[in-house]
Amino acid sequence: MAARTVWAAGRCSEQAGAVNRAVRRLPGLTQVRWSRYGPEFRDPLTDKGHCRKPAAELTEEEKYDQDLGKTQLIKAAPAAQTCSAFADPVISKSTNMMMKGGSKVLARSLMAQTLEAVERKQFEKYHAASAEEQATIERNPYTIFHQALKNCEPVIGLVPILKGGHFYQVPVPLSDRRRRFLAMKWMIKDCRENKPRRTLMPEKLSYELLEAFANKGPVIKRKHDMHKMAEANRALAHYRWW
Amino acid sequence: MLKGVRKLIPRVHKLDPGCLLRMSTQAPRSITTHSDDQLPVQRPRAICRTPESDPVKTFGEACLMVRKPALELLQYLKNTNFTHPAVRYLLYGEKGTGKTLSLCHVIHFCAKHNWLTLHVPDAHLWVKNCRELLRSTYNKQRLDQPLEASTWLRRFKTTNEHFLSQIKVEEKYIWNKRESTEKGSPLGEVVEQGLMRVRNATDAVGIVLKELKRQSCLGRLQLLVAVDGVNALWGRTTLQREDKSPVAPEELALVHNLRKMVDNDWHGGAIVLTLSQTGSLFKPQTAYLPHELLGKEGFDALDPFVPILVSNYNPKEFESSFQYYLENNWLQHEKAPTEEGKKELLFLSNSNPGQLERLCAYL
Repeated sequence: MAARTVWAAGRCSEQAGAVNRAVRRLPGLTQVRWSRYGPEFRDPLTDKGHCRKPAAELTEEEKYDQDLGKTQLIKAAPAAQTCSAFADPVISKSTNMMMKGGSKVLARSLMAQTLEAVERKQFEKYHAASAEEQATIERNPYTIFHQALKNCEPVIGLVPILKGGHFYQVPVPLSDRRRRFLAMKWMIKDCRENKPRRTLMPEKLSYELLEAFANKGPVIKRKHDMHKMAEANRALAHYRWW
Repeated sequence: MLKGVRKLIPRVHKLDPGCLLRMSTQAPRSITTHSDDQLPVQRPRAICRTPESDPVKTFGEACLMVRKPALELLQYLKNTNFTHPAVRYLLYGEKGTGKTLSLCHVIHFCAKHNWLTLHVPDAHLWVKNCRELLRSTYNKQRLDQPLEASTWLRRFKTTNEHFLSQIKVEEKYIWNKRESTEKGSPLGEVVEQGLMRVRNATDAVGIVLKELKRQSCLGRLQLLVAVDGVNALWGRTTLQREDKSPVAPEELALVHNLRKMVDNDWHGGAIVLTLSQTGSLFKPQTAYLPHELLGKEGFDALDPFVPILVSNYNPKEFESSFQYYLENNWLQHEKAPTEEGKKELLFLSNSNPGQLERLCAYL
């Protein structure tokens, strides 16, 4: 339906706009993924503060915007978009990546249990530690999650390029989005595959997150392996043409 | 996790609604043990908490919020007339409102006042998922549950240790050709026998209940019978015999004996019961009223009783619970301490204590 469901509402129109512009410029391109909404539709707003401002405080532009909003058509908000104070785009993305068969309820509960497990483990450690160590122990599961994923992001990636009938693994700079995706993908894949039988996902994922936060563990190792391969293949770097 | 209470009133040890009732932090891991002595190695789990969500591990303490239903019950218990038949108090309410913890508060109070507490943490565990069902030696029609009986005996032993040597058995009990308990021996011997010979554990439980009833009628002790999930005693079980025929609850010896205990034909104590839909069998999720959960049979058996409704938090209680979490740094999210975060938690949990706990766990 929508061109690409991305985290913030603003990027949706930006993306769609960029694709539209590319389509108009290059006559050979036809749009494959397209939105059922025409250009007159506006994106939905999830900012609670915006709607609740009394009329006196609005500037000219905002007044114009509000009046326009009364007559213009607005797209339906996607189900995952919230105005919640606790909404976190990174967590939502990982939840979607963990989801299987569309059961968002299960994925969300698993994520909640993971965060809870991380928090409890850190609290236990905190209470068992001495006063000096207590200052260094991080108890916020969200900071741990973000930092762990950041630690797992590879700096450089490998891409298979066809040259002379053979595929060569060429080192290539990765975009921010690709790096975040790879970090999350590796984390989830590792938790699914390399665990002893009958361990639950929250248990394993919380363990992996804490290890990645401390820069140890199999996901960090995989990142380093990727870097080493890229370093080894650096002679093939000139195969890249972009 | 247990909820604590606000600090707006300075921490006074009078039981006003909203003040803090703190258990000793080092020793008791469970709320049923009331003594501040060294804990026995085996810690009885009083309530249905998983080992992972143990509040002592996360906070280093176990706190209860003092709420109106519990205070009402304590008032009634303070005014019990030990010559009248035992009054039955039934805590009921929607899911997650705090019935089990109110029961635990009452048990703690009674234990502190030297009553003998007979606590069944979850009667539903006796009517489902039983691995071994033996034919009872005492009564051929009934079935024994050795595992459940022995866990209960172990818990009973740890919670009421000092009573076991004081109470003397009034009858001679013959276990088998070689073992028997003489008249006048301490009740501890019966418990030991049940723990050693697991086959006789159910019969040991039956004897313990019978003796305690007799002793409280004679006025030698004050007995508190506390059963959580009492609606399990009347209803259906998911247990089957070897020929796959269903087992009715009255055919289980443990349930039969507990039903006799919950009857009001004895005096010298009180009976506090809790209904529970979580863990109940063949009952709809929205059912919470006594008539719905107990059925006609159970309601008639428990009639007359004093019903006590346990409801969601009122604004003060919510505030105090929220403050407790904040003070213990349990709410780690940056937006959690803000007004916005608080309003959102209030909305999402609908002031339901259980739901609030689950939400705050990952925030």
